[in-house]
Amino acid sequence: MTADHWNEPSGAPETVTRDVLIVGGGPAGLSAAERLAAAGLTVTLVDEQPELGGQYYRRPAPAVAERWGDHRPEGGALVERVRAAGAECRTRHTVWGVDDDGRTLLAVDGEGRPVRLRGRYLIIATGAYERVLPFPGWQLPGVATPGFAQHLAASEHTPIGERVLVAGSGPFLLPVACSLVDLGVTVVGVAEAGTPYRPRPAALGALRHPARLRELAGYVTRLARARVPIWQGHSVVRAEGTDRVSSVTVAAVGDPAAARTFLVDALCVGYGFRPQTDLARMLGCDVRTDAVTGDATPVTDPRGRTSRPGVYVIGEAAGIGGAPTARARGLLAAFDILIREGRPPARRDLLRAGAALRGLARFTELTGRLFPSPARLTSSLVPPLPGDTMICRCEAVTAREIRAVAGEAEVPAPVDVNAVKARTRAGMGPCQGRECGVAVAALVRSVAGRTTDANVFPARTPIRPIPLRALLATETTPETTPKTTPGASPDALGPATPQEERP
Amino acid sequence: MSGVLTADAVIVGAGVLGAAAAHHLARAGHRVVILERGAPGREGSGTTAGNLHIQAVHSQRPGQEVPLDNARFLPLQRAASERWETLEEELGASVELRRSGGFTVAETPGQHAELVEKHAWETGAGIPTEVLDGDAARAALPQLGPTVIAATWCALDGYANPLKVTPAYLSSAARSGARTHPYSPVRRIDRHREGWRVTAGRDGGLVVDTPVVVDTAGPWLGRVAAMAGAALRMSPVAIQMHSTVRLPPILPHLVQHIGEGLSVKQVAAGNLLIGGGWPARTLDLEGRSLPSLASLHGNVRLAARVLPFLADLRLLRMWAGPLAATPDEMPLIGEVPGLPGFLVAGGTYAFTFAPLWGETLRCLAESKPPPVDIADLGPGRLMDHADHQADHQEERNTQC
Ligand SMILES: Cc1cc2nc3c(=O)[nH]c(=O)nc-3n(C[C@H](O)[C@H](O)[C@H](O)COP(=O)(O)OP(=O)(O)OC[C@H]3O[C@@H](n4cnc5c(N)ncnc54)[C@H](O)[C@@H]3O)c2cc1C
Ligand SMILES: Cc1cc2nc3c(=O)[nH]c(=O)nc-3n(C[C@H](O)[C@H](O)[C@H](O)COP(=O)(O)OP(=O)(O)OC[C@H]3O[C@@H](n4cnc5c(N)ncnc54)[C@H](O)[C@@H]3O)c2cc1C
Repeated sequence: MTADHWNEPSGAPETVTRDVLIVGGGPAGLSAAERLAAAGLTVTLVDEQPELGGQYYRRPAPAVAERWGDHRPEGGALVERVRAAGAECRTRHTVWGVDDDGRTLLAVDGEGRPVRLRGRYLIIATGAYERVLPFPGWQLPGVATPGFAQHLAASEHTPIGERVLVAGSGPFLLPVACSLVDLGVTVVGVAEAGTPYRPRPAALGALRHPARLRELAGYVTRLARARVPIWQGHSVVRAEGTDRVSSVTVAAVGDPAAARTFLVDALCVGYGFRPQTDLARMLGCDVRTDAVTGDATPVTDPRGRTSRPGVYVIGEAAGIGGAPTARARGLLAAFDILIREGRPPARRDLLRAGAALRGLARFTELTGRLFPSPARLTSSLVPPLPGDTMICRCEAVTAREIRAVAGEAEVPAPVDVNAVKARTRAGMGPCQGRECGVAVAALVRSVAGRTTDANVFPARTPIRPIPLRALLATETTPETTPKTTPGASPDALGPATPQEERP
Repeated sequence: MSGVLTADAVIVGAGVLGAAAAHHLARAGHRVVILERGAPGREGSGTTAGNLHIQAVHSQRPGQEVPLDNARFLPLQRAASERWETLEEELGASVELRRSGGFTVAETPGQHAELVEKHAWETGAGIPTEVLDGDAARAALPQLGPTVIAATWCALDGYANPLKVTPAYLSSAARSGARTHPYSPVRRIDRHREGWRVTAGRDGGLVVDTPVVVDTAGPWLGRVAAMAGAALRMSPVAIQMHSTVRLPPILPHLVQHIGEGLSVKQVAAGNLLIGGGWPARTLDLEGRSLPSLASLHGNVRLAARVLPFLADLRLLRMWAGPLAATPDEMPLIGEVPGLPGFLVAGGTYAFTFAPLWGETLRCLAESKPPPVDIADLGPGRLMDHADHQADHQEERNTQC
């Protein structure tokens, strides 16, 4: 490598300028892209995955699709329509930050090249993370999340193990258990921390609940037929094993005495999903703490508008609601932009989309009432964890170390998550506290009480660790000719008012 | 008035300087009260790079208008260096102190000449350094890139974990009876009898009478001094840092640049920290300053030119922190003329100078001679043009 190599920028970065820029090609982003592109706006959709579809419409590997078919063909059809409508689709593009102008998104492509992305409108459809809570042994190989097991099953047709226990909370555990059963896996049981399937699972279908609950009842029946027990009010106490998980102990929530141990070669534990909001926060969209979930969630209206003019947050990034809700939100955001652009959709479409979202909201509310609230689950499961439980897996920080700092009297400062981070390194690793942040906060609260406003780690650039080499090519910011609709109305994106929570 | 506390010294601001002063004063038997507006050690002292700069520093960080006076700095650096040597023992705590030495590199003949000149000053000040040509420098540190044509080596350069230093000072002070009041912003400072009455707390409910006030409020130092009636011409800025993912040990020394803003080192946890005083995007004295992407690019480009292996690493996070700069970029320490008992300490490289300034503040509070000559570093030099001062600082604060 010569010195000149570093003195010269190795080529000006590509700048993409469109009417609408969408981050996230799941059900929400795809639905918005289809409508906007079909109406004649220039649209670029970026996603860090190799294929569009997001979590719900994740495409099966080609060999798997050929042999086993596509488990959700409507997803493939939607992707086709988005492409046919003329939206530019850029996969393997990871958005990692926002430039100093507060509006240009910075991405790196699959080859590590920098790409700058601009839109008169920005739509953030970055979906959700799985909600994980620590327990002793969760760092063992063979312990995974339900979503990961589901992806292995759907896109690779590969079982996560031969004897698997599924645990956690929420409606997602049942379809995952069913997929595993379909692959011939022995599912030793499903431990659900709440008690949603009461009085008797079989009674659920008869309750004339909406489709969502009928679907759940269907899973319950299938599991019963496969003789998979569902233990309600139970959670994982610990996993054990040497190189890999070999046994898991399950007990009634709040009563660890009545514990039972099962031999397994894989364990899936998850407590539903939580919005992935880093990008929205970096763009300066207002966030509030959701009372039920305890998550910092962008403030949006039903159209996905945020506090920042021209920036929309849709799908699970705006709040967990499932794939149909994500699609409805995508549609409403697209309609709102089309109205602002003077190309209103048919009144009938508008009314239908609005009604669909309201109906779906009722479903979500109903499911929400069946399962324990994530905030409550967190505060009941995390504080009793034994001291040697690894809380931050990246930096190997235990519950004991966090409690020690949180309870320390010598330095008379109220302790919050940031103090714990500074003193223990919890949250400083590659995931930047996205996995452990909720648990660290719960531990701090249980020891020190709620002492300051800071109960989440702040959103920091970069969103994902990015190769420094990708930065070396970007110094100047040449403006390539914008590709926006001729005669389009002036820039909709409001002034940049970057804001983050106080440290 | 009921509920008024009394103290021998009130310290405003629990950054590394306030904490060091508290340690020295409390250990000498003084009753110390520390008032901190937020959580201790979170501003400049929680965001600093944590370098112990013992060889002469690059005199002009990016965007800095006036170069600092390197020759004047060196005796102070030497005095600070000696105090760091015994600090862990003095505090009874590990602060991850590492004196593993550092290189300052040059890439142009002009910069090479600067290294030779600074080496002469260093020798004069009793700081041992060595000038190496490019190949000798690469032999000593093979990670250095081909553009490096010379470097100085100083075995005294080092690092201490800033997340440990301020808490360790505060713990030591607490063991000697000092009381820290976090989340207690100082709101008023009034003349009271022979001394001062300091009013703090969100509701102004914390009142302390004291003969000595130590203003170590970092970037807010000017605002706090104004409460006591002193208009100081300060020019606070915010600068930023970058951290890579963790790596097994690869870079044993601190690496700096004589002509451009650069400092790179590997910390105990394995992350490489890249800094050099690049300006942040915002200075936000009410909230949190935000880092700049342009500075990220500039700093990383420079770092990867000097240390090419960095290009293959991943950036993990970046952050910005506020810094109490003076218009002449020199340290600020001393009693405010006309305000007996009102002491200030701050300015650039305050982390390196913390053990020295802590001790110096104790001497000033006790009206004893300071351990180093600080006659030209006092606040008097920032008090001319009285009419423009307040305006000037407000402008700097809002403009960033
Ligand atoms: C691991 C996992 C598995 C799931 N499996 C199921 C399932 O099987 N069935 C079910 O009903 N629900 C599942 N869900 C819930 C699912 O999130 C929603 O039902 C639905 O997919 C939400 O749609 P969305 O468009 O809001 O987000 P998603 O479908 O999550 O799409 C978001 C997209 O944004 C992309 N993205 C995010 N951040 C960036 C970035 N910084 N740069 C570039 N691209 C980015 C992601 O790659 C992703 O493709 C799963 C969720 C997760 C997290
Ligand atoms: C990114 C960065 C990198 C740096 N790198 C180095 C380095 O490598 N080496 C080096 O020597 N120096 C470095 N510095 C400089 C130096 O580390 C810091 O400036 C130093 O830590 C500042 O310490 P301080 O105690 O003066 O101020 P601060 O740490 O800023 O503390 C001031 C305190 O005063 C409090 N306060 C303010 N107003 C009030 C009020 N009204 N009432 C009560 N409390 C108040 C604040 O909340 C704050 O906690 C760096 C600085 C930054 C920002």
